[in-house]
Amino acid sequence: MIRLSGIRKSFGRQEVLKGIDLHVGKGEVVAILGPSGSGKTTLLRCINYLEKPGEGEIRIGDQALDARRAGKKDVHALRRRSAMVFQQYNLFSHKTALENVMEGLVVVKKMSKDEARKRGIALLEKVGLGAKLDAYPSRLSGGQQQRVGIARALALEPEVILFDEPTSALDPELVGEVLAVIRRIAKEGITMIIVTHEMGFAQDVANRVVFMDEGVIVEEGPPAQLFGNPKEERTRQFLKRLTPEASYTI
Amino acid sequence: MKLDPSFIWTAFVGLLPAIPTTLILTLVSVTCGFVIGTGTALARMYRIPVLAQIASGYVTFIRGTPMLVHLLLIYFSLPLLIDALSAQFDLGWNSAKVPMIAFAFVSFSITAGAYMSEVVRSGLMAIDRGQMEAALSVGMTVPQAIRRIVFPQAVAAALPNLTNSVIGMLHGSTLAFTVSVVDLNAKAQIVASTNWKYFEAYLAAAIIFWGLTIAIERIAAAIERRISLYSRGGVA
Ligand SMILES: Nc1ncnc2c1ncn2[C@@H]1O[C@H](COP(=O)(O)OP(=O)(O)O)[C@@H](O)[C@H]1O
Ligand SMILES: [Mg+2]
Repeated sequence: MIRLSGIRKSFGRQEVLKGIDLHVGKGEVVAILGPSGSGKTTLLRCINYLEKPGEGEIRIGDQALDARRAGKKDVHALRRRSAMVFQQYNLFSHKTALENVMEGLVVVKKMSKDEARKRGIALLEKVGLGAKLDAYPSRLSGGQQQRVGIARALALEPEVILFDEPTSALDPELVGEVLAVIRRIAKEGITMIIVTHEMGFAQDVANRVVFMDEGVIVEEGPPAQLFGNPKEERTRQFLKRLTPEASYTI
Repeated sequence: MKLDPSFIWTAFVGLLPAIPTTLILTLVSVTCGFVIGTGTALARMYRIPVLAQIASGYVTFIRGTPMLVHLLLIYFSLPLLIDALSAQFDLGWNSAKVPMIAFAFVSFSITAGAYMSEVVRSGLMAIDRGQMEAALSVGMTVPQAIRRIVFPQAVAAALPNLTNSVIGMLHGSTLAFTVSVVDLNAKAQIVASTNWKYFEAYLAAAIIFWGLTIAIERIAAAIERRISLYSRGGVA
């Protein structure tokens, strides 16, 4: 489980996160929605500590960290409990699909190469890329790269996988294959936080939807309630603007 | 001026024994320079306190002064340093015992280090931030991320410029003759002066340098083809 308490983050004078509290239970899938610039990416990056919060506490499993007193060791320990799937995939470009998945296992988890290879192959097969083990990222489509990214995150068996708009850099016809993979792993009880604009997807994958705007959580609830009967005016406005564009969701 | 074509060949053969000296000068300065340059570039890139400032000062000074000046500074200062150290700690060293080529090694490595640090730095800057972030997100430490992910890609990106550095050092190594090291160039002078056929001798030297340069370019191209396979959409 994950608990965020009072996360604040500023870039210069601009306060991007204004005290975020969020609890995600084990096996829960939480979708984060919100207009562009509302701080969704920054929040995920704070959880993964790619961005250092100004203040607040982050707890993942048994590892808690206070942003104002965080040492290198704590940060490293916290990072090892989460994995990130990036909007721009960020696969290691000098490594093949399989090597991308193996890298963390061998270097961080100190797994033997043989074991890591087995695990990597199994995971790539699971995301439908059993035929692309030895391909470099530059040879893969966006959808394939993102599926490798998901396999890479899964390999680490983190307590939570953070998805930052995993399909928004993809051509529309490639969105489906990636969402299908995420849907499948969601059913396996893996804890996930997904920033997405795919409403239909959020509706049937998430246990809970969180609406963020201007650095605060405006409203959260089960998808049926948040989409069907939002309490806050800001949420309603946002959903109204989003709906017509979401025509290609599945 | 009367050209003596047959002497070009004579000189060419006479120069061959000096090739190893030129190559070893280049190899040592490039290898040490790469190590120094990498350390310098990393210190500046990741803003390591104190080291970053020293690194910047080193690069500015060395790039702002001629290679020949570095050689002379080392040549005149290093013996003093060695003798002082020896006297201080009773090491029984003597700067007179140090072979001349050692001064060239030290000085050329320092020169190469500064130039190569800029090459490595531009390679590092060419790598997307996302690579480092992805490495951290899978749980690597910063040193692991640099060693395994960022640096190999930076070297691949910097390869063409690294090749230029190697060629620059090959040609720059001719300065070694000022400290009485008999490299190709010095050998050409020796061969020429016995017969007063300078043009022919230096022409032979030029041909050898050209050949060596082409060889370096070929080797570099082959390495580049292998290392940057990934960026051209290859399959392992
Ligand atoms: N590294 C940064 N430096 C300065 N401002 C940033 C940085 N990252 C994000 N921001 C700003 O923070 C705000 C929130 O950004 P972001 O978290 O990316 O929003 P979202 O993902 O919801 O679109 C934006 O106004 C953005 O310009
Ligand atoms: Mg974003």
